[in-house]
Amino acid sequence: MAAAEAYVLDGTRDGDEAAGAVVGALLARLGQAGWRAEAVRLRDVEIAPCLGCFGCWTNTPGRCVIDDGAGEITRRAIGSGLLVYATPVVFGGYASPLKHALDRMICLVSPFFQVVDGEVHHRLRYPRYPRLLGVGAAEGEDGERDRLFETLVRRNALNLHAGRWAAGVVRTDEPGDRREARLDQLLQDVGRAP
Amino acid sequence: MRRALLLVGSPKAGPSTSGALGAYLLDRLAEHGVQAETRRVAEVLRDPAGLGELAGAVDRSNLFVVSFPLYVDSLPAPVVRCFEGLAAVWGARAGGRPRFAAVVNCRFPEASQCDTALAICRRFAAETGLSWAGGLALGGGGAVGGRPLDRAGGRVRNVRTALDQAGAALARGEAVPERAVHLMAKPLVPRWLYLLIGNLHWTCAARRHGAFRRLHDRPYA
Ligand SMILES: Cc1cc2nc3c(=O)[nH]c(=O)nc-3n(C[C@H](O)[C@H](O)[C@H](O)COP(=O)(O)O)c2cc1C
Repeated sequence: MAAAEAYVLDGTRDGDEAAGAVVGALLARLGQAGWRAEAVRLRDVEIAPCLGCFGCWTNTPGRCVIDDGAGEITRRAIGSGLLVYATPVVFGGYASPLKHALDRMICLVSPFFQVVDGEVHHRLRYPRYPRLLGVGAAEGEDGERDRLFETLVRRNALNLHAGRWAAGVVRTDEPGDRREARLDQLLQDVGRAP
Repeated sequence: MRRALLLVGSPKAGPSTSGALGAYLLDRLAEHGVQAETRRVAEVLRDPAGLGELAGAVDRSNLFVVSFPLYVDSLPAPVVRCFEGLAAVWGARAGGRPRFAAVVNCRFPEASQCDTALAICRRFAAETGLSWAGGLALGGGGAVGGRPLDRAGGRVRNVRTALDQAGAALARGEAVPERAVHLMAKPLVPRWLYLLIGNLHWTCAARRHGAFRRLHDRPYA
């Protein structure tokens, strides 16, 4: 993949129709903004749960010891210019299909520690990391939920060394034009396509 | 007899720090007359009827505790899946569900890195009608390393005391006390030492697996 490519991790579950519509709109807006966007529907990919063995750091450094669909997703993610987490907001966080994929991607960083802004984090493994955009889909107004989702994406951006990041919740009960405006704002926040 | 149900959220097949913290808390609850059962996420999800069974078991208890490791600033995917499943089984929010407490442990030395995960647990409670009884966060979980807390040495003294206090309060029907939260969050070793030991740990583990020279590989470059 290349710098102008956006790789969208679609975390919708069976029956998440309203969130699926947000992902569809997101892909269209990414295209409008000059990104070559591609999405992977995670629920259709076989991804075993991370076993917490740290083999991806100490046995097969940089690669998970389980050989399944997560490997290709990890490769595409690190090669993209913009990595997008698109998910229904579930208790303020990510839906399980997205979380399954992310748990398998810790091989993208080094196991070694470093201090960033007074906190311990992992060192880089790759010379460059994609920008990160988190797009949550949820019904109704709920500031606390939205802040929690944004905080989670911000924490992930810090751990994934995303130089630039943006996050926000798009309301599924708002008319299409309002949703598009919100998505465009998020795309502006994460920066123009190269 | 009051009942508690512990869900261990570590996906590890063998001993886990989440399991050790949860087991120690259950022992304290037992001392106060609370009878407890333990479930592990992998087992719940392996059984097609597991989520329904878990929902029933939670409903039959007075206290539901989840103990899990921090994964990517949040809950491990199998725990998210369990929460989604419980919410689906229960349907719309209803009162009268048991109290709910969470114990999180993470690798980084700052317990505050678990704040987002605890906030997600709190929302899960609010959205499903469980009554939030508070949470404990432990940084530097590697120091426990899955060992039973009674055998994990003096370094985890504060952890044990925090769980003693939390167990007593939860058994009385109270929330996890602030002083337990503070004790649990106290660094187990000074940060410089933690960094030194931690970084050495990865080097030794890679050497053991014959991967020392490949530690910095970039297979997807
Ligand atoms: C996929 C994965 C993601 C992790 N993410 C984090 C993290 O974001 N922050 C952190 O401090 N530790 C993180 N850890 C480390 C675990 O939280 C830590 O090793 C914990 O003590 C394991 O507990 P357990 O024995 O109960 O499984 C992660 C570990 C794994 C395997």
